Amino acid sequence: MKPLRQQNHYEALEVHPDALPLEIRRAYKKAFELYQQDSFASYSFFSEEERKEILSCIEQAYLTLINPESRAAYDRSLIALGLLEEGKRYRDKTHEPITIYDLKKTRVDSRSRVKRSDELKSRAAQNPAIHDILTQDALAGSDLQEVRMNLQVSLEEIAEKTNIRIDILRAIEKGNLDGLPPLVYLKGFLKSYVRYLELDENIIVNAYLKNIGRH
Amino acid sequence: MENSITHIWPIGGGKGGSGKSFFTGSLGFLLAKRGYRTLLVDVDLGAANLHTIVGVPHPEKSISDFISKRVGTLEETVVPTFLPNLYLISGAMNNLDIANLAHEQKMKILRNVAKLSYDYILLDLGAGTSFNTIDFFMISNAGIFVTTPEPTSIENIYRLIRSVYFRKIHQVLKTHNFKSLAGEAEKRNPMATVNNPDLLLHVMNELDPEKSALLEHALGAFHFKLALNQLRKQDNQNTGALICKIIEKHLTLKINHIGNVSFDDRVHSAVCKKMPFMELYPYTQTTLDLRECCRMLLSAEEAASPALQNVVD
Repeated sequence: MKPLRQQNHYEALEVHPDALPLEIRRAYKKAFELYQQDSFASYSFFSEEERKEILSCIEQAYLTLINPESRAAYDRSLIALGLLEEGKRYRDKTHEPITIYDLKKTRVDSRSRVKRSDELKSRAAQNPAIHDILTQDALAGSDLQEVRMNLQVSLEEIAEKTNIRIDILRAIEKGNLDGLPPLVYLKGFLKSYVRYLELDENIIVNAYLKNIGRH
Repeated sequence: MENSITHIWPIGGGKGGSGKSFFTGSLGFLLAKRGYRTLLVDVDLGAANLHTIVGVPHPEKSISDFISKRVGTLEETVVPTFLPNLYLISGAMNNLDIANLAHEQKMKILRNVAKLSYDYILLDLGAGTSFNTIDFFMISNAGIFVTTPEPTSIENIYRLIRSVYFRKIHQVLKTHNFKSLAGEAEKRNPMATVNNPDLLLHVMNELDPEKSALLEHALGAFHFKLALNQLRKQDNQNTGALICKIIEKHLTLKINHIGNVSFDDRVHSAVCKKMPFMELYPYTQTTLDLRECCRMLLSAEEAASPALQNVVD
């Protein structure tokens, strides 16, 4: 490590050359706490002269850097010596204009939604397995699961889009009665689930509830 | 655990009464409970009392049996404790002149401690900065400092760490070179004391860059730990980190703060009962703090030797 008197002010306070005034104040406070006379942590580590020298070093660093004018002058002298790059010095940006409207806001593309529903419907129409299942009188959770698998929709996707907890969705598909919510909520969840798959909600929900004996 | 290597952790602190033996005993207790074969060695030869802290008031054998050749190997002086995985080489019931260990005897102990095969060997060092203490401390690079948040104790920590630092410079340079180096450093900076190691390294870098690199490597290999003991509620919780910062910044040594251990009056009563504190009071803040220290030490150890870890995996 370089001796303190050979360090530049930024090194002495252990801050980056583009540190905010607030950070410089904080760094000085920390360094002062460490090196001041009553500090426990540095007790007996330095002789009186060493301590005085260190304290005067960090004080000078602080006083130079906290004043915008003297800091700018100091930065220029560092740049002249090749110790600092122009681009890396601190600039006060609080007085510069900033944009308040973000014009590039992303919008939900409604066309892709239409496409999705058409695609799901065509998949359901083309797959005879789905048709067979849906014409049953009573539907078990595993039937719903099979339909969903055939439509190539993941459970996670449904949970994300409908905001239904995934453990409830799993309980529905497993037909796990203990994991199901009260009937009122269950109906709502089932409707959302079926609607997301673009199927006929009334028939399927009734068939499912009939199967678990809660209609 | 046959292929695992032995970790040696010397525990020192400069000042007497800062809790070195208590910390050593507790750490040994925790390591043994975690299933590591752990050996505690009391090398506070003039004033040994680790045996009392771990609940072996009258150890049958002690380290002086080895020094005076009553037993052939150091392994034979190991006594078991009440915990299955915890073993002790006591420093109790020594001859009265044992505190002034001759150099060869000390080297013999050092050599033989390094040969013992345990998972962890903890050395409980005495107070002070005599060569005996320092050489035991330098048996491994992973020394642990124990200090209390009091100026006296902190002063002694700095004293001890500087002594270790200079002893290392001595060892690398041999005495003759050191004297000429110190002379040169003093000549250049008549005002400064040789106590400033930065200055020494600086001068040496100019005189003999090759040796200087060697020394920097030797000093860089140290990885010390610092535990702050007997912290009262009103104490600054940050002191340990600040001490580490000063040492890292001004001595360029690696040191980690592994935790604060709360002060507890019941430590006194546990010692009076000659029982391990953690066994008597397992649900106190102090016990929790010690557990945390142990955890930090083990994870630091893992981080320090990733290569080893790979071999084991």
